[in-house]
Amino acid sequence: MVAIRLVLSQAKPDVDYPTEVSKPLLHLEALMSQALAGDKHAYTEVLRETSRFIRPFLSKRLGHAAEVEDVLQEILLSIHKARHTYDAQRPYQPWAFAIAKFRLLDHLRAHYANHLRHTVELSEVENTLVEAVTESSFSYESIRAEIHLLPEKQATILQMMHQDGYTAKEVAQKIGMKESAVKVAAHRAYKILRKRLDENA
Amino acid sequence: MLDTEKLIASMARDASPVTPAPHPFMLGAKWLAAAIIYIALVLVFMGLRPDIVFKLRSPIFIAELVLLASIIISTALSAALLSFPDLHQKRWVVYTPIVAVVFFILLIFLSWWADFPPVPLPRHNVQCLLSIACLTLLPTAWMFYTMRGLASTHPYWTGSIALLSAFSIGALSLRLSEQTNSLIHVIQWHYLPMLAVGLIGLLLGKILLRW
Repeated sequence: MVAIRLVLSQAKPDVDYPTEVSKPLLHLEALMSQALAGDKHAYTEVLRETSRFIRPFLSKRLGHAAEVEDVLQEILLSIHKARHTYDAQRPYQPWAFAIAKFRLLDHLRAHYANHLRHTVELSEVENTLVEAVTESSFSYESIRAEIHLLPEKQATILQMMHQDGYTAKEVAQKIGMKESAVKVAAHRAYKILRKRLDENA
Repeated sequence: MLDTEKLIASMARDASPVTPAPHPFMLGAKWLAAAIIYIALVLVFMGLRPDIVFKLRSPIFIAELVLLASIIISTALSAALLSFPDLHQKRWVVYTPIVAVVFFILLIFLSWWADFPPVPLPRHNVQCLLSIACLTLLPTAWMFYTMRGLASTHPYWTGSIALLSAFSIGALSLRLSEQTNSLIHVIQWHYLPMLAVGLIGLLLGKILLRW
């Protein structure tokens, strides 16, 4: 008798499939509801859970892990900004995914626009191409090495602006600085870099 | 660069209780109530068209007013839903303006066919468009102000639909106050500009509804 009861109690969750599926969803909705009321712990949990299900969604669509993490952070910030538009009576995941999709498209649009902006017609540069390639005194590696020798903040700014393709405004938002401060830091970094590269040349 | 865990921690620290946004249908109802008051005030200020009693016996004119009102209602609800990231999970309501606009176009074709011999054109022309544009300003400003407090993931469409709603309010007000029976004039200077308004709305949405 005891054995039968044990078997039944173990079998129940597998049989009751819809409950198993809806459990994590209900969990998120309840947590978000508490978070909207000001529960910081619940909010942390919601954001962690959100990043857990958004990360694979982004990984499938973006190439680099760093890019995935960047867009994920943008999405979390957007969720934070728009949290008053969430209604606890509705499922949480479609709401979060709508924001995720919106931010991902925004990112891809900016990414491709940036690529197009920096595209140079080959015919425009073909006359200077021969000298430029052979006579440049700086190599990509030397510039990169010098960037790493800069103070940490300046190096991060240059890397984000020139390697990752962010604008000064986006960099400012990401690292929590003012846009003007980012521009000043970048300007100083260029000066230092120029000086060092000239010395090395 | 910030670590995601650190970002979550910092956002959680700032997480004070928030006042939830109103239900989109409540928001739409609020806009519609304001639209009714606004149209009433405009009619008090501009006066009803002198032939209103006669016109209200015409089924085509009544159908025109009803369909204009249905465009206002459907676009207001649609814009309200579009202001929420997930369209409040009521996607089908967002498409209702299409139905209203299709019926409206059919009615205009029917009226055109019935308008024989055509009623002569009035002397004025672009003044009507300018009047509607002026009447549209206040509803547009209020709708966009409200929508900026929300979080649209379809800013272009939200802007377009909201401006169409505001323009329809202006068009309905003018239709009730101006005595013009020429259908060609009404199509040319009252209703065709709706297409251009939709395009301007896309642009306004892009600029004003970014978040």
